[in-house]
Amino acid sequence: MTLPLPAPIVRWLAAVGRVARITAEHAGELGLLSWRIMVAIAQLKVSRHDISTQLYIMGVQSLPIVFVTASLAGIVTSQQGGYQLISSSPQYILGTLVVQSVILELAPLLTAIVLVGRIGARITAELGTMVVSEQIDAFESLGRDPVAILAAPRLIAGVITMPLLVGFADVIGIVAGMIAANIDVGMGTETFIYGARLFWHSWDLVYGLSKSVVFGFAIPLIAVHMGLRTRGGAEGVGLTTTQAVMFMILTILILDAMFPPLLLQ
Amino acid sequence: MITYRDIHKSFDLPVLSGVDMMVETGEMFALFGPSGTGKSVLLKTTIGLMIPDRGDVEIDGLSVYEGGPSALLEVRRKVGYVFQHSALFDSLTVLDNVAMGLPEEVLQRLSTIEKVRRVWEALDIVNLEPKEVLAKIPSELSGGMKKRVGIARAIVGRPEILLWDEPTTGLDPVNTAAVERLIKRLSKELEVTSLLVTHDVEGGLDICDRVAMLDGGTLRFCGTPVEFRACPDPVVQAFVDRAAAEAALDMVTDTYV
Repeated sequence: MTLPLPAPIVRWLAAVGRVARITAEHAGELGLLSWRIMVAIAQLKVSRHDISTQLYIMGVQSLPIVFVTASLAGIVTSQQGGYQLISSSPQYILGTLVVQSVILELAPLLTAIVLVGRIGARITAELGTMVVSEQIDAFESLGRDPVAILAAPRLIAGVITMPLLVGFADVIGIVAGMIAANIDVGMGTETFIYGARLFWHSWDLVYGLSKSVVFGFAIPLIAVHMGLRTRGGAEGVGLTTTQAVMFMILTILILDAMFPPLLLQ
Repeated sequence: MITYRDIHKSFDLPVLSGVDMMVETGEMFALFGPSGTGKSVLLKTTIGLMIPDRGDVEIDGLSVYEGGPSALLEVRRKVGYVFQHSALFDSLTVLDNVAMGLPEEVLQRLSTIEKVRRVWEALDIVNLEPKEVLAKIPSELSGGMKKRVGIARAIVGRPEILLWDEPTTGLDPVNTAAVERLIKRLSKELEVTSLLVTHDVEGGLDICDRVAMLDGGTLRFCGTPVEFRACPDPVVQAFVDRAAAEAALDMVTDTYV
């Protein structure tokens, strides 16, 4: 005769099983959605006009917020680096610190998080509203593929705009850090550039931009996936959008943690 | 002809539990039932917007589900679907919304003038003034106008079958009567098979050739409007009485409140 497991263990096992099931469900649906998007792209079903519209929304309209975020990231890194290093290390190290921090981590990560809020949440809410108002059903009833019309242009635009925005954020962050170093600790531009070039590896730029491509793929993919899963009315749209933002941020952070062992060895 | 064979569909709970039903070619058929009995779900299974857990739907003898995506696309081309809340595309003008009702390859072939002509004709049929509404977006239209644009989108591709999902929901009595007259006129003029899901029992009985009632996930009644009114089944009787009482209450509310 086997003894029954204690109730807390049963509850814990049930919770683990539930999380595993939900994770597998999301992974399967994300895989299927990616496949359908790739098929739509390969069959040239994606409208160039829709891609241009999304490029404008994701790229051009995101420039101001990316500018502000990257500037502040560069300024704060420079100020805090100056405070910690100036008495113990050569001044030029501050140039190294700002450039490396911005290119390797701050620009890709902060731009991705800004895009989660600005673009990811928007996509989920937009598609969620279309689901609950039966607009997605209407597309299907009219023989149109909602994945080709709605998902593919957003994914293509995400993959194109994200590295461009991160490149822009790199430049702005470094320039802002250089100006802050000059104002805060009186470091000249030559010294800053000397420090930046001393430990410069071109691979670091490739690394940062590679991350941005992956983030640019993940954000619209998850946003579209969550939007299409929306159920219920306005409350459902709100709930799904919140879940999507959490899901996207968590995914960005996990992907970010996976990059150093893969590409910085 | 639309044939539903042993349709089962569950979400968290069973919604449809073995529905068998047949809508003859050219007839106007209404489906009644209390809220939550799966009327709209059954309608959506007709063109694969919801896939039944078990059972099959046949249109003119061809299975909707066994022929794969290309067969499903063919089925969808034969069918015009009018959604409960119109489901117009928010970002498109009335012209583009209605034009979406044309098959994709037809739309790509048409010149702008021909596209406008086809949309114009459809808007004219549903008694909308094309010149006034063509350039508007859905948020600039009244509820009744949105319904008519939704109907225009469903008929512009000249379908053989029209599926109506509660087309009078949210309309005042004047607009409800107008839309019901429009449904009856279109079904006759366009010589289509119509399946109408509605909570407006009196309206449905007035305009349809046959009616059916879903209850508890199964078909409770299927017959002519006269047979429906005279049906001795207490569940059907209770439903008819409640529907009549609700209609009277709606009329009093609309008149005095």
